[in-house]
Amino acid sequence: MSSPVILGLMTFCFLFFGYLGVPVPFALLAGVFVGALLSDVSLAAIIQKMFDGVDNEALLAIPFFLLVGELMSSSNVVIRVANLALALVGHIRGGLSQVVTVFSMMFSEMSGSTTADVAVISRALSGPMKKEGYKGPFIAAIIAAASTIAALVPPSITAVVYGAVGNVSIAGLFMAGVVPGLMIGFGLMIYCYFFGPVGARRQRASFGMVAGAAKDAALPLMIPIILLGGILSGWFTPTEAGVVAATWILLVIIPALNPKHIWQLPYDFCLAGLIFSLPLITIGAANAFGWMLAYLRGASVIAEWITAIAGTDPHLIMLMMVLLFTIIGDFIEPVPTIIIFMPLVNALTQAGDINPVHMGVVLIATLAFGLITPPYGLVLLMASKFVGVRFSQALRAALPIYVVFLVTISFCIYFPKVVLWLPKQVIPTAVGCFANPSGTGYICPP
Amino acid sequence: MSIADRLVLQRQRHLKWKALDPLEMVLMIICGLTLFGFSVSVCCDIMTRQLGDPWLWLQEVTSTLFVYGIFIGAAVATRRNDHLYLTAFAESMHGTARTVAEVVIRLVVLGVAICLIYYGYLNYLRGFGSFRLPSNTPIASLYAAIPLCGLLTALFTIEQIVNGCRNGFDHPEPDEPEHSAAFGASRPGELT
Repeated sequence: MSSPVILGLMTFCFLFFGYLGVPVPFALLAGVFVGALLSDVSLAAIIQKMFDGVDNEALLAIPFFLLVGELMSSSNVVIRVANLALALVGHIRGGLSQVVTVFSMMFSEMSGSTTADVAVISRALSGPMKKEGYKGPFIAAIIAAASTIAALVPPSITAVVYGAVGNVSIAGLFMAGVVPGLMIGFGLMIYCYFFGPVGARRQRASFGMVAGAAKDAALPLMIPIILLGGILSGWFTPTEAGVVAATWILLVIIPALNPKHIWQLPYDFCLAGLIFSLPLITIGAANAFGWMLAYLRGASVIAEWITAIAGTDPHLIMLMMVLLFTIIGDFIEPVPTIIIFMPLVNALTQAGDINPVHMGVVLIATLAFGLITPPYGLVLLMASKFVGVRFSQALRAALPIYVVFLVTISFCIYFPKVVLWLPKQVIPTAVGCFANPSGTGYICPP
Repeated sequence: MSIADRLVLQRQRHLKWKALDPLEMVLMIICGLTLFGFSVSVCCDIMTRQLGDPWLWLQEVTSTLFVYGIFIGAAVATRRNDHLYLTAFAESMHGTARTVAEVVIRLVVLGVAICLIYYGYLNYLRGFGSFRLPSNTPIASLYAAIPLCGLLTALFTIEQIVNGCRNGFDHPEPDEPEHSAAFGASRPGELT
């Protein structure tokens, strides 16, 4: 049987089983096993590829970032961060919708997980928003859109997976994700200001109130400083930074702010131990699927199609990739998408002579957008469930917000110098710069 | 409710045998212990490296606990229906169509689980030819996690098929499960 037919059958099996209700890792493996049975690949080799997918030291960061998010939410200390956001922007037109965005920008810097963000923000702010008269679909839409910031800014788990699988600097992706993350955050604030519900009018918080809220939230806000400071100063790898942040919560934040919660920590560990296995087993299965895709030359064929249309023009290649990832991201989650299509991404990054960090950030932003688009906008689905509205209603409310994402993605494609400016200043080697032989500064590719 | 009781998910009770509840609880505890264990080993790894006397065996401990945590977590998530799903199309069905769809879903999972057991076991045997450094432990010690995961997944899937055929799959559930692992969604209402 020819490779394209086998690939088609593999993909069909995965999507058919997946949409029927088979868990993603099992649907992926079922597709790969069908492909292996029809080709000359042994099933034991597939098992090995699945194992290789998770046996990657860089992925060790994921459980720690998830543990940080779980501990922060279960110990209830994130409410202090929400209060700080309220003191900072609660008076601006849009009221609590502005607070949602700023709170998400802060909490994203601690959890790195869009799904953790949407769960925590929904629980913290959807009730107060309903009481102030915001409509359910808008609440779900703005919470979902704001939660996607976690996919871009450090310590984004999506960036960790992209870096680990694609052999791209994770610290570089973290830094390069800051500009699109801020663009989406401020874009949502602007949207809420001009086009969102007015919300309840609040007095601007006095300096004393802001200072008080900042003092209350000071310990949790140390987490992004530990994570970023440790990684950027070169003291820690992302994994080590995650460990230190988790230790900070366990030894300082919880004893200081919610000592009663100490007795719940064994339960938190058990639950976090389960939670971390879910994306990682999916990574293993997706790695086997991606390997089969590459083995059957699927990645090369798609790469040839794209280069036949786009040539070596980096902008066109990236636009084609954004289109492809938007379509794929509408059906599959970001993590398996990244792993399955990494051979294709690598081929096209080379063909267009594109900086791998730049390509990574553009694709991660695209996949973040896919989290709020139909039919499988996971984060929008979760938000509509938590808020208690139908997905279709939340989707209609989210449509105008898509503009913010499309502008951000387009900006990232056409202004790589802006996106890569921060990593070039902080960690030049992460974006391909090398030390000047004369001993001063770095030489960077154009 | 004690922590041990909370570790056994009460959602979809009609698909579960009480006899397997202690196994779910033990596996959840192992998940917690593996996470705690490799958190400690990474901490110790950082400290011993900073002190200039790295304990290289710590990296083996870390990777062992990490790998077992993943595969045991994946197995117990099958019983708790905590895996990542593209959609739950079958849940919108009723009657015979629902039963057929749910059985097909579980047969697919069972098929994959059997492949994990058999081919994972072959891989495990092959793993005695390679060794991990510095301890020279056969890499089979890591590969053993895969057939183990397959075995537990198959057991939980058979449990669901038998109970589903006997009691039906279509039971009303509360909107928000109390202890499910939806990335921070474990404690509804706490922050509101």
